[in-house]
Amino acid sequence: MTRFMKWLGVVVVIFIAAPLVIVVPMSFSTARSLQFPPPGYGLGYYQAYFSDPSWLIPTWNSIIIATATTVLTMLLVVPATFALVRHQFRGRSIADLMMLMPLAVPSIVMAVGYYSYFGAMGIVHTHIGVVLAHTALAVPIAFLVLSANLKGFDRTLERAAMSLGASPTKTFIHVTLPILRPGLIISALFAFIHSFDETVVSIFISGRNAETLPRKMFDSIRQEADPVIAVISTLLFALVLLGLVGPRLVAALRNRRPRVQAA
Amino acid sequence: MSYLDLKGINKSYGQFVALNDVNLSAAKGEFVTFLGPSGSGKTTTLMIIAGFEKATTGSVEIDGRPLQGLAPHERNIGIVFQNYGLFPHKTAAENVYFPLQMRSVKRAAGLKRAEEMLELVGLRDFGHRYPKELSGGQQQRVALARALVFEPSLLLLDEPLGALDKNLREQMQIEIKRIQRALGVTTIFVTHDQTEAMSMSDRIVVFEGGRINQVAAPLDLYHKPETRFVAGFIGESNLIEAVVTDPVARTASAAHLGEVEYAPTDKAKKGQGVTLMIRPEHMRLSRNPIEGRRNAQMKVETIVNYGDNALVIGKVGDLTMRVRVLGADVVIIKENQDCCISWTPDAVYLIAK
Repeated sequence: MTRFMKWLGVVVVIFIAAPLVIVVPMSFSTARSLQFPPPGYGLGYYQAYFSDPSWLIPTWNSIIIATATTVLTMLLVVPATFALVRHQFRGRSIADLMMLMPLAVPSIVMAVGYYSYFGAMGIVHTHIGVVLAHTALAVPIAFLVLSANLKGFDRTLERAAMSLGASPTKTFIHVTLPILRPGLIISALFAFIHSFDETVVSIFISGRNAETLPRKMFDSIRQEADPVIAVISTLLFALVLLGLVGPRLVAALRNRRPRVQAA
Repeated sequence: MSYLDLKGINKSYGQFVALNDVNLSAAKGEFVTFLGPSGSGKTTTLMIIAGFEKATTGSVEIDGRPLQGLAPHERNIGIVFQNYGLFPHKTAAENVYFPLQMRSVKRAAGLKRAEEMLELVGLRDFGHRYPKELSGGQQQRVALARALVFEPSLLLLDEPLGALDKNLREQMQIEIKRIQRALGVTTIFVTHDQTEAMSMSDRIVVFEGGRINQVAAPLDLYHKPETRFVAGFIGESNLIEAVVTDPVARTASAAHLGEVEYAPTDKAKKGQGVTLMIRPEHMRLSRNPIEGRRNAQMKVETIVNYGDNALVIGKVGDLTMRVRVLGADVVIIKENQDCCISWTPDAVYLIAK
């Protein structure tokens, strides 16, 4: 049984990793379209990506939109989370539900909604429109991450700070915020990634002006299967890997300094 | 001269009355313990003093200055919480520096002062460690140093020893007393552990059901409890229901014991229902009655050995009695045997309430 489970695990890992194994070599391909295995290897498509404005502009759009979405999301989610986790008030459970709603509604439904709604407001095909839509979708994710963190926060620490002479504002700055920092960073990161990765709503409302990278990739794969897609995928993969491994590497290096055992 | 005054404090949450007319005065430098079972109001009182809870009515004054309307951070009161409340993202020294930082003391000077304070609590050279790198007892000391470094007008300790094991707890009791005496800070200590209260306090305030039951020095509380609750809560005791038969001859009648002579008191009236208290260590256990003492036949049910002493529990008629004997003496008796317990009238303390 355990041997079977072990092999099952290996198979699952291979299945999950397979797209990566295929995409990375394809990005170094010399073929004219996506093809596996590649007939030869070179950096041609990397050069193509970094010199072609039709790729670089959507990349910038995505970065700008994701950054704006993150800022807006955090501005909404941080106060909302404190209110919903720490205070009892009439309509709290409904507010809680509304926060999570965009997560439950299918993206395509949201997309159609935004298309007609933003159309009426005249902000379809604009950066602001995409940012607003992405924020609505990122809020529940950021809220889930942050509220889990805040629920686990020991409020004795805040009382301790106040008894030691810290005003509520100073308590927040010196105690609450630093202790919640990891949760805030992860929450913001999730908002950023969600926006950067979002395709369905972007296809509907980003248009030519605010075209995002996933939308451009989607268009490209439909028209020509340009291997630049593999380049972008590889670069994103490398970025995520760096984001995941980087902090652990730093932590591991930090822990190498001699640790004193508590007596 | 009273330094801390609690005047007529009441606290209710809707229908529930948490505190009922709490009055107390403490002198400067005094170590006062709030003792009581959980839910008796001791922690609520502490939180009202600290400013985290608001009294429904009544006032708190320190040195004649009312604290009403002052937020917790404006009260200059040091608190050690049950789970210490150390900031996990700051080192021990930074934790101790925090109250000084809030009082605009420069970092270099403040950290130096913090290190001095850590030295006072026996944590020299531990300043650079984070709380998670310290043991429970060490964290406790850091919390104490942090609560004292800014020279608070009052120190509040909220069951700070609850999380420590027995040996460490005794060590910390001695430490806290030493530091408290050295600094002369007026201290309120909250606990439900009566031995802790006995060994540390100048005075003990016994809370029961949101009221102050009795305020007295530890030994007075032990030997002269004013209520049955205090007698039962502080130490082991035999509490016997009785009716005063003759206040002049000092006798009361109790079921299964008959007429019992009690120690001198001015509280007894003829025909009054009272409680007689006999501490287990004030009784003697023997095979045969001892002349000159009041004797009673007891059937031994359980013997609890503590090594240096033993508690013998048995029945006199239907009345359960507890007798403490020296560990060496317990060999004379076995469970289910009959024996004699005896006492003198001095050992019988009458409680009118």
